[in-house]
Amino acid sequence: MSDRIVVGSLAGAFGVLGEVRLKSFCADPEAIADYVPLSTEDGRIFRQIVLTGQTAGSLVARIDGILTKEDADALKGLALYADRARLPALPDDEYYHADLIGLEVVDTGGASLGRVKAVLNHGAGDILEVLPPGASDTVLLPFTDAAVPTVDLAAGRIVADPPLGLFGDD
Amino acid sequence: MARSVWKGPFVDAYVLKKAEKAREGTRNEVIKIWSRRSTILPQFVGLTFGVYNGKKHIPVNVTEDMIGQKFGEYSPTRTYYGHAADKKAKKK
Repeated sequence: MSDRIVVGSLAGAFGVLGEVRLKSFCADPEAIADYVPLSTEDGRIFRQIVLTGQTAGSLVARIDGILTKEDADALKGLALYADRARLPALPDDEYYHADLIGLEVVDTGGASLGRVKAVLNHGAGDILEVLPPGASDTVLLPFTDAAVPTVDLAAGRIVADPPLGLFGDD
Repeated sequence: MARSVWKGPFVDAYVLKKAEKAREGTRNEVIKIWSRRSTILPQFVGLTFGVYNGKKHIPVNVTEDMIGQKFGEYSPTRTYYGHAADKKAKKK
């Protein structure tokens, strides 16, 4: 589990009064303002973000310390990181994608099945994309109680009971 | 134009056979299908199908609210990962 997660990026200036275009990667785009302070790779920290509107594909915001169009343009392309601890706590059966990605997946016997590469959802429930060790092709594991009985975030592993044939064991 | 009601929903015959076989068995398995055009029927609820998207079989856990739609709707042919950010996953 990483301490910082990417929640958005800066896309340049909006207008000439120092407002910025902000791309939010959050499930609810406007929630990005709740995760302040946001930091960047070059060590800047933004402690206040005020959303003032939206434009095509991005939000418009006023950020502390950015007063001119030139300031805003200079930040174009920077990713914004939030502290993982700022995310609200979830019920027992819900997990942040950021927490699941990278976890080791083991079967009920303890043998490694791979690591979680991504979490997908195409409308029929969540799916863990698992990259088996030494393989280039991923395996898609339904994120259900039957297929994934245990998620142990503290130990950094997921115990899976995959359906037959999923990992080439049929 | 919508499909005539008197014809009933279209399902490839092999999908029905596979689903019936899976219902009889006790094995926990993903039913691999290639028929993206088949309609999801009430008897499929509770089963997990692996719907082919041209590259791999995407697991589709059928629930009641999916009845009447096509399998292909749940197995996109293009992948976009995006950022994890604060997105959540819930176990079913």
